[in-house]
Amino acid sequence: MGVEKMIDARGAVCLALLMLATGLRATFAAPLDDAAETYRPYMIEGIGQALAGARNLRERVAAGDLTGAKKAWISARAGWERSEVFTAGFVPELDAEIDAWPNADSGFHGIEARLFGAGRTDAGSDTDALVEHLDNLHGKLRSMELTPQGLLDGIVRLTYEVGESKADGGESRISGTSLDDMRNNVAGIDFAYRTIFATALKTADAKLADAVDARIERLKVIVAARDLPSIDIPGLRRTTEELVITLQSASAKLGLQRATLEAKSQ
Amino acid sequence: MIIRHSWIATLALGILVAGLHGRAVAFPIDGDQTTLPPKTELNEDALDKPREVFHSELAGGKSYMINLGNLAFSSPGILGGVARQAAVSCGTCHVNGAGNAKLFMPKMSTHPGNFDTTGPLFNPKADNLVLDPVRIPSLRGARYLAPYGFDGRMPSLRDFVHNVIVNEFAGPEPSPVILDAIVAYIQDIDFLPNPSLGPGGRLVGKINDSERRGEALFLKPFPHDPSLSCAGCHTPSGVFSDHQQHDIGSGGLFRTPTLRNADFNAPYFHDGRFDSYDQVVAHFDRVFDLGLSAQDRQDLAAYLTAVGDGTQPYEHDGAGASLKEINDFTTVLGTAIPAGDKDIVSLAVDTIGNELRELTEQYPDHKNTSVTGGEQQRVLARNALKELVLTLRRIDMAVADGRIADATTDYRNYRYLMAAAVPSVLAGAEPWSLFNSKVHDSHYAALRQVMQSKHAPQ
Repeated sequence: MGVEKMIDARGAVCLALLMLATGLRATFAAPLDDAAETYRPYMIEGIGQALAGARNLRERVAAGDLTGAKKAWISARAGWERSEVFTAGFVPELDAEIDAWPNADSGFHGIEARLFGAGRTDAGSDTDALVEHLDNLHGKLRSMELTPQGLLDGIVRLTYEVGESKADGGESRISGTSLDDMRNNVAGIDFAYRTIFATALKTADAKLADAVDARIERLKVIVAARDLPSIDIPGLRRTTEELVITLQSASAKLGLQRATLEAKSQ
Repeated sequence: MIIRHSWIATLALGILVAGLHGRAVAFPIDGDQTTLPPKTELNEDALDKPREVFHSELAGGKSYMINLGNLAFSSPGILGGVARQAAVSCGTCHVNGAGNAKLFMPKMSTHPGNFDTTGPLFNPKADNLVLDPVRIPSLRGARYLAPYGFDGRMPSLRDFVHNVIVNEFAGPEPSPVILDAIVAYIQDIDFLPNPSLGPGGRLVGKINDSERRGEALFLKPFPHDPSLSCAGCHTPSGVFSDHQQHDIGSGGLFRTPTLRNADFNAPYFHDGRFDSYDQVVAHFDRVFDLGLSAQDRQDLAAYLTAVGDGTQPYEHDGAGASLKEINDFTTVLGTAIPAGDKDIVSLAVDTIGNELRELTEQYPDHKNTSVTGGEQQRVLARNALKELVLTLRRIDMAVADGRIADATTDYRNYRYLMAAAVPSVLAGAEPWSLFNSKVHDSHYAALRQVMQSKHAPQ
């Protein structure tokens, strides 16, 4: 079979599957939409914690309290990392402002370099900007359209990201809190999946749901390591990839499009 | 299976159409939570890398064993826990079979390009409690260079490789096929050709006067001991080594190193103490009281440079070079999948997956402040590479379950994507990738700025 014919044939199969998926979507649409709404208060709570931490951080920075500022940064960071399930997909521009990397001039990592790296508290303008951006995001969450597809995409993307190598110290290497980031990411993945998709998937395909559960549990065990160098890196990679594949298989069972790995550019 | 066909075709078409419209763990290592000591330099951010010249390519193509050896050589998975955690493989020190002159690991190195193989980090049981690093050798022409080890203690390359894996890096006992494959790979790495070297190791062609005078000095007996000369140990030949151990006043008996391609093998001496031929010549002049004039020293250095030369030693690191190596690795799956060889499939999937993940990081995501523009192209490139990683993992899962037909289908899909769609998408994103020197420099400057904040005076 020539390449063109192969692609034609695959295109036809794709169309057929799309129709099938559309039918499934009708079956699961309402429960999943409702489940996504159930998740909204927790999104608001997570970003609310990050915002409260950022406000406290701003106060501690203004008071020149380095120890207190570091604690507040870690607290704000925890809420943020749990929320990364949806930030990249739903608010990419704010995500980039708040979590910019590697440039040390802005966002969480700019402040991290100042506090934990240089050991200084002259980060007033950066903390002002962080509070403003988180406040802006917090306000948007109440009316933002939440789609099950976007949330499943977010879970899949974050899962893949958790499997990236941390041999260099990870994302928050200056503060030494990259393992906390990972734990909060996994907690966010676990919570979002259980809140939005677990029930529907158990109904559609109990075996697949069990496979998702088993891999999330394995991930939780891996990130429970005592420190970052103790993380089973090959196991982490394998488990995250297997979880992504299982969730992608679950997409069709849930009447959704196959979950994608990158947020579309704006 | 039908589902896999449909998404892969859709993806391939999608990325091709978009492409028409429209490079550890490569950070400085630092922070309090790293497996390797802070301030380790692995030289992973180099844009130019040594190039391999394979003997078998001249003979028509690389065999399964050579590709498997290259794969295992690049896999942290064959080494022990610390190396695996830190993503260190044989290839970390021997970049494309050459040395890594910039590698520096606090507690394990005293000089860029050397490394303590009996240090505390990778295998505490092998720690001799002395910081005695040795130069990381090039592997070019290794098949001509027995015995092995800086002191020539091992006649067998296979035994030497086994020792590195099991003792120096605390790896599990390798299977015989993996050992044989790594040996096949190393033995396939040729010297870089040097058209200035003729029969008997004599300089030929367009040779300048300084090089010619240097050659005469090289052959001339030492004034205080006529039984000795440079050429007495570095026998002019295809190898420029007598394969023997000698005491040259550097602290013990050491095997004569080859001079072939030595221009690219600095630092010099068993412990890498010298950075240049000038320093090497000055050492011999002092230890053996050669009475060399400044001109003599210059002439000897010019001769060594002529002998140690090689053509096309480096290639610019781009997506094409990475994909070529990944494709070589992937051919291993073409044999291992039908054979249902779970271990080799897993090794290949993990190793190629690592390579693809590293390649993904060459295309900065939307949070990266080092680059603006090309967002759509970068998203497509990252997405395509992630899909390949997952396709490989599906192959691993299928072979582990005994579903060889599914694995074969996914392997076909993988090859299909790698044939045209992925290279096209990566080429489309290259201007905004770390393969672009401006983006590369901006990215690493920002990273180093972050790292320096950790070490700034407070």
